[in-house]
Amino acid sequence: MTQDDAFAADLLRGHTDTIVLGVLRRGDAYGFEIYKAIRDATGGQHEIKEATLYATYRRLEKDGLVESYWGDESQGGRRKYYRITDAGRAVFRGNVAAWTATRRIIDALLDVKESQQ
Amino acid sequence: MNPDIHRLLDEAFQGIEMTPDAQDLKEEMRANLMARADELAAAGATPDEAARQAIAELGDVRALLDETPDAAPQRGADDYASLVLRHHVRPKPGFVVRAVVWSIAAVVGITLGILGAAGVLPLSLGPQIALFGLASTGIALLVGDSLSQETTTNHPLPQNRAAGYFLATLLGAYGLGFGGLVALGTMPVWGVVFAALGVIASIVLFSFLGATQTNRHKAWTREALRNEPPNRFEREPETAARFGVYTAAIWLVTFAVIAVLVFTVGWWWAPVAFVAGFALMMLVLARMLFTSDKPAGR
Repeated sequence: MTQDDAFAADLLRGHTDTIVLGVLRRGDAYGFEIYKAIRDATGGQHEIKEATLYATYRRLEKDGLVESYWGDESQGGRRKYYRITDAGRAVFRGNVAAWTATRRIIDALLDVKESQQ
Repeated sequence: MNPDIHRLLDEAFQGIEMTPDAQDLKEEMRANLMARADELAAAGATPDEAARQAIAELGDVRALLDETPDAAPQRGADDYASLVLRHHVRPKPGFVVRAVVWSIAAVVGITLGILGAAGVLPLSLGPQIALFGLASTGIALLVGDSLSQETTTNHPLPQNRAAGYFLATLLGAYGLGFGGLVALGTMPVWGVVFAALGVIASIVLFSFLGATQTNRHKAWTREALRNEPPNRFEREPETAARFGVYTAAIWLVTFAVIAVLVFTVGWWWAPVAFVAGFALMMLVLARMLFTSDKPAGR
């Protein structure tokens, strides 16, 4: 893993909770679907480790930001689906607003130009 | 389906105490691992490799179970009052102003509407309906607006759900308004159709909203509620069950008394029996829920 990758992975991991909430906003999903949605969104370059995700689900559920229920798959393991709650939506909105504000500050501090590649 | 997954998963959980929590996690992981292994197999891995890699990506299961969810020590020092103070959210000034306006609309609409319907004010049916419309809109806006505000203990409701509660309240309140106009005699009996439609639609909508409502408590509220010592009904379910039986008996007797009153002294005595029944239930509740635990043999 190069230096750039490590930096990006770190940033991504720091926002795991919000990212998971963002995925669930589109609809209920079980662990592997969430994992895949994140991996696909990064173009397969990055992934958030499954262990990190399991810890995130447990934390989010404890805080009441998501609810879980078991699917009724007839074959194979039963899937544990997660559903975002109203509290989760509110926290997500707040985090997105904070991210937008912070991104602007960091862009200014790092002297990022909009047109820069 | 990949049989290796089950063996490898058992190995990963070896030596871990199988609490319900751990069992839960294991079952959740099983389905995810199978999906991941299927994906790897589709990409060309042998079943054996696929299972092994899927498990390897999992990392250490033990760390996951250790850190959550009861690892946070109970901080007994924080009582509920100080928590409320720390997380206090002040209502927005705009909301306070709006709430006052909605309340005035409701009060003015109901008062003038009833005065008109009772014949004190010379209003025809149209303006009376409009006044109750104003009142219902005021009440509904009050409900919807309050629900979309952030409070000390709750997150705001998303806009569309708050709008749903607004609509349900509007329909219910307007329906009751039509019912009132019919009862007071200013509206012909066909007005009951509107009343019934409004109230039924409101009940349906409220039921739907209630059934699909998800958590909106803030994390600190949930934590505080979790740390609340259990009350007597939680500690002694048999006491709660006994209370349920008593309640059923109280209401059965109350309705019997109501029936007797209606057929003997007149229907206007019925509310007295109702109030008495309710008071009795509350007294029993107080006795049973808040009794101090006495040692056996009192």
